[in-house]
Amino acid sequence: MKENKKNVPESSKLKNELPFVVPANYFDDFYARLHTRLETEELVLPKKRNKVIRLLKPAFGLAASFALIIMLVYWPVKTYLPKYLAKTKNIETGISNEDETYLSMINNLDENSFFALLTEVSEPELLQEVGLNEDEFLSYLSSSISDYEIFIQSEN
Amino acid sequence: MMQNDDQEIIAQLKQESTREVAFHRLVSMYQEPLYWHVRKILLSHEDSDDVLQNTFIKVWKSIHKFREESSLYTWLYRIATNEAITCLNNNKRRSMLPLNEVSDILMHNLNSDPYLEGDKIQLKLQEAIVQLPEKQRIVFNLRYFDEMKYDDMAAILDTSVGALKASYHHAVKKVEEYMKNTD
Repeated sequence: MKENKKNVPESSKLKNELPFVVPANYFDDFYARLHTRLETEELVLPKKRNKVIRLLKPAFGLAASFALIIMLVYWPVKTYLPKYLAKTKNIETGISNEDETYLSMINNLDENSFFALLTEVSEPELLQEVGLNEDEFLSYLSSSISDYEIFIQSEN
Repeated sequence: MMQNDDQEIIAQLKQESTREVAFHRLVSMYQEPLYWHVRKILLSHEDSDDVLQNTFIKVWKSIHKFREESSLYTWLYRIATNEAITCLNNNKRRSMLPLNEVSDILMHNLNSDPYLEGDKIQLKLQEAIVQLPEKQRIVFNLRYFDEMKYDDMAAILDTSVGALKASYHHAVKKVEEYMKNTD
């Protein structure tokens, strides 16, 4: 205070009062106006969010989106094109149920039994089964063999 | 006593259940001193009202970040000062004046504000203060009108006590000169 009195501009032996005023009841109403503004900006009661949920929210959203897409595609196809789905399934596997049974039997055989099975069926019967005569059968067998290999075998 | 009150308010503000009541109490305690502090910087009542609201909204939003390294009083004044300076800079930008012409804006505020009453000498003093650079103006107002301690001022303005004393000394000289030269 003493320092202020010493440094006060001489031409104003002023009281250090301000020439400003406020509207009537300004400070009485201030909090109400402030509160209204806070409510408007939705800051009055900021919600505390669970941290875990906040972190997992994007993952949940993504999972929900995928599920929705799958349902939007799969369900109409299943409802309106069931045959298409069945056909697609068969093409994917490429093997019918009968073939699957036959193959599983073959897989369970040991080598000797497998060869014995092959030789059980005589050649003419085999040819009859597949609907080929002997010459056609020979040409089928040799189709994958080169001329050189045929020559070497005949010489031997 | 004041420190205990402040600590109590801070603790209550950080708790969800007591936050609103504590905030009301805080506003009641500090609305007037902060208002006059801002009004001295901006001169206009309308701008000061906006800035005061912005200040308390900022306090509401960031109370959980307040680390209590300074007093509540210092923290509030710092926010209010920064908000006032931001408002002044925004006004400068809108008026497209060069940075050193802010005195024109303030002079306009001084002459046109309807909430201005005072004798001739008081108005002349305000004109003299308007001519000061921004920092000197704030320091002069805090020291001359609020009689704030230099230590508190240093915490608010983030400036050393020595620099503040020098700033105040220069401000006083300029105000004196203006008052003598303009009759």
